[in-house]
Amino acid sequence: MFKPLDPLLHSELRLAIMSLLISDLEAEFPYIKEQTGATAGNLSVQVDKLAAAEYIEVVKTFKGKRPCTICRITLKGQQAFEAYIEALKSYLQVSKP
Amino acid sequence: MEENNNMTAERSLAIITEQIERSRRAVSKSTGQSLYISGLCTMAMAVIVPIVNLLILPDGYATLGHLLWFTLPFIIVFTIRTIYKNREHAPVSLVGTLVGKTWQTFGVFGLGFFVLANVWNYILYHSTDNTMAIIAHQANFTPIIYLLMGMAVAITGHILNSRWLVWFGIVASLVIAVCDFACVGTMLLSRFGAPLSIIAHSNSILPCVSVFVLALFGLMLPGLMLKNQK
Repeated sequence: MFKPLDPLLHSELRLAIMSLLISDLEAEFPYIKEQTGATAGNLSVQVDKLAAAEYIEVVKTFKGKRPCTICRITLKGQQAFEAYIEALKSYLQVSKP
Repeated sequence: MEENNNMTAERSLAIITEQIERSRRAVSKSTGQSLYISGLCTMAMAVIVPIVNLLILPDGYATLGHLLWFTLPFIIVFTIRTIYKNREHAPVSLVGTLVGKTWQTFGVFGLGFFVLANVWNYILYHSTDNTMAIIAHQANFTPIIYLLMGMAVAITGHILNSRWLVWFGIVASLVIAVCDFACVGTMLLSRFGAPLSIIAHSNSILPCVSVFVLALFGLMLPGLMLKNQK
């Protein structure tokens, strides 16, 4: 029986953002942009969607005089990611020969 | 990377694996840079301290230069902040945090013990109580600091999954600490005909040689390896 996949995480860019943040405690916006290879506009939209679902929290601060956006995964986000991995396992077990 | 909601399970797994691997590399590089700079600063200090000690030797303050070790944490923090001021911040990861905290703990214990041992020795030398002079012993703190430093190197090796670093930390610090207890360095200086004035003040030079070796193999080289990791 297939478990349902979280539609919010079942998207290339949002999954990549969550995968980065699950292994790092927090990351700056330019770092996520560099690692995912996404455009700033698209990344910003996806970050907002994840933040709206409270999977990540976005902190806007300053580094010296420059503005700095820091993304941090929340407990809800960690649980959602774990649930996504569990659901993914059921699909992978079926697709094995 | 664009928005694609029609992924296969294999594609999802590939994205997760790739991003975690990218993150691991970025963290390794950032940790490597900090270790490399810390190693260079420590090695530089291990060269400066004996020079200062030798310069002030005629005035009778042969070990006063060791007080410069207190400036080392500040020099390391300042150098790292200056060099990487304008670069993108690496992510704050558990691995990087653990390595940083390990060395911060070593710094607190090492410098703390250094102060307490010196205070104890000062009290002992200036005590007029003969009983105390018979019972109590002078605190030889350098072997303890080598062991603490070796422990920090070994824990760093465990965190970074580097077996050779773990073994280097354990073996090197134990060998150096035992050699220090047995005064091997002083014996070697004597064996190779070093001037008596140098042998008499070997404790102002030899600890710096040991710290230099530990910093070279325990901080600088692993830092360089992590920094250049593909």
